[in-house]
Amino acid sequence: MVDFHNRLTLAQLDADGALEEALVAATGSTRTQFLRSAALGSAALLTGLSDSATASPGPRQDTAILNYALAFEYLQAGFYTEAESLGTIRAMDAERERWARTLGAHERAHVRILKDVLGRRAAARPFFDYRGITEDPTTFTRTAVAMEDLTVALLGGQAPRVANQGLRSAFFSLLTVEARHATWARRIVGVAPVAEAFDSPKTIAQVDRVIRSTRFRVSRPKSEGRGSPRFTG
Amino acid sequence: MRSFARGPGWIAFAVFSTLAAVSVWAALTGRLGGNTDAAPPVDRRSAVAEAALPDPVPPAFVPPKPEALSGLDHVSFWSPVRRSIPVRVRANQNAAVIARLSTRTPEGTRNLVLILDRRRDARGTLWVRARFPSERNDAVGWVPRAALGGYGVVSTHLVVDVAKLTATLYRNGKRIFEAQVGVGMSENPTPTGEFYIRNKLTKYANAFYGPVAFGTSARSPTLTDWPAGGFVGIHGTNRPDLLPGRISHGCIRLRNTDILVLERLMPVGTPLTIV
Repeated sequence: MVDFHNRLTLAQLDADGALEEALVAATGSTRTQFLRSAALGSAALLTGLSDSATASPGPRQDTAILNYALAFEYLQAGFYTEAESLGTIRAMDAERERWARTLGAHERAHVRILKDVLGRRAAARPFFDYRGITEDPTTFTRTAVAMEDLTVALLGGQAPRVANQGLRSAFFSLLTVEARHATWARRIVGVAPVAEAFDSPKTIAQVDRVIRSTRFRVSRPKSEGRGSPRFTG
Repeated sequence: MRSFARGPGWIAFAVFSTLAAVSVWAALTGRLGGNTDAAPPVDRRSAVAEAALPDPVPPAFVPPKPEALSGLDHVSFWSPVRRSIPVRVRANQNAAVIARLSTRTPEGTRNLVLILDRRRDARGTLWVRARFPSERNDAVGWVPRAALGGYGVVSTHLVVDVAKLTATLYRNGKRIFEAQVGVGMSENPTPTGEFYIRNKLTKYANAFYGPVAFGTSARSPTLTDWPAGGFVGIHGTNRPDLLPGRISHGCIRLRNTDILVLERLMPVGTPLTIV
C-alpha cells in the first residue's frame, strides 16, 4: 500500500536526477543546498486541496483538483511555449524539435480545456521564471523529462480522488497521455523509457515541494501603479 | 530380453502417439478437418463475463485539437530587472559599462527591459541583449540573464508618427487601434527611435495626465533635468481641444476616451516605435 503521508526526498521523486541536475545548473546552488531546499516542504499552491484521507470528495474538491491540474498545465505549457518562442526548440535536431513542438501543443490544449471547464473559477495564469532553462536545449530536454514524470505522479495521485465519474474518466485520459509524454521525453534524452514496473502516485504536498524548489513560479512583476505620473507632460 | 522397440507393439505406440498429437494441435488451432479459415471456438464463459462489465465512463471533457504556435514573428519579450546591474557593450564580464540598470522606475514600479537577443560567453554564462531606458535613441546593451526575472510576452506594437500625429497599435501584425495624438512642440520634441512601454499608472489624482498614463523607456532630449529623469509618457489630457497638435513637452497625449481604449489593448512591455 502506498503511504501517501510519507515524505519523499527529491532523490526518490527524481530517480534519474534529471530535474535535480538541470535545476542545480540553473540555480547555481550546490547539490546539498538544492536537496535541502527541496526537502523543506511548503504549503500547497492552491487552498482547498488536502492530502488527508478525511478530505471529503465532492464538487468542491473536484474544482480544487481541476485548478491544481490547471496550475501545473500552465507551468508545462509555459515551459514548452517559451522554449519554442525563444527559438531553442528550432535549434534542436528534427526528432527533438518534433517531440517538443508536439508536447507544447498538447499542454496548451490541456490548459484551454481545463480553463473552459472551470470557467470563472479558473485560476489566473501565474508568472514564471524558467531561469534560463528554456534557453538551452540540454537543460530544456532534461527538465522536460522530470516535469513529465512529475505530471504522471500528480495525475496518478489525484485522478482517483475526483468524485465526478465523467471528470475522473477525463483525468485518466489526461494521465495516459502524460505518461506517453514522459516515455517520449525519456527516449529523447536517452534514459530508460520506463523507470519502474509500478508508478507510485505523489501527494499534492510532494508535487508542490518539487515545484517550489524549482522557483519557476514567481510573483508577477509590479508594472502598474497608482503614483502620480512624473513624465514630461 | 525382447526389445519393445523392435516389435509390433512399438509400431502401434508410434501411430497412436502421432494421432494424439495431431488431434491436440488441431483442437488448439482450429484446423480440424483441414479448414484453415474456421473461427476459433467461442469461450462462452468469457462472453458472459464481458456482458456483465459496464461500458467505459464517457469523459466529461475532451481537449481541443492541439495547435502549433503561430504569430511568433510578432512576439516580443520583456523582463523585470531583479537586481541593479551594469549594462555592458558586449556579452563579456570585462566589457565596457555603458549604463546601470535600477530595479525600480521613478514611479515605484518594477523596472523592465525589452529582450532582443541572447548569447553565452566563453565561461558558459548566459547574457541577454536588452533595450533599456535612455535619452539615447535605440539604447541597447548586454546584461547577465541571472540579473533578470522571468520573460513576459507581448504580441503588440505601438507606432507613433510625429509627422502624421497618430498612434497606431498592432497585434500580431494587424492594426487594432488608431488615434490622433499630441506630441512635443519644436523646442521640446518627442524623441524618435525604438523604445517600449515600461509601466502603467491609473487612479492618480492629476487631471493634466487624464485617467491613464503609460510610462515609456524614451527620455526627452531637451528636458534632461526634468524631475524623475524626463521620461516621455503616453497619457490622456484635460485639454482635448489641443489635439491633434505639437503641444506637449515631449509626451504623447491622447483623448481620454482613446487612452482608456488603449489601456484595454496595450500591455506593459509593448515595443514602441516613434517615427
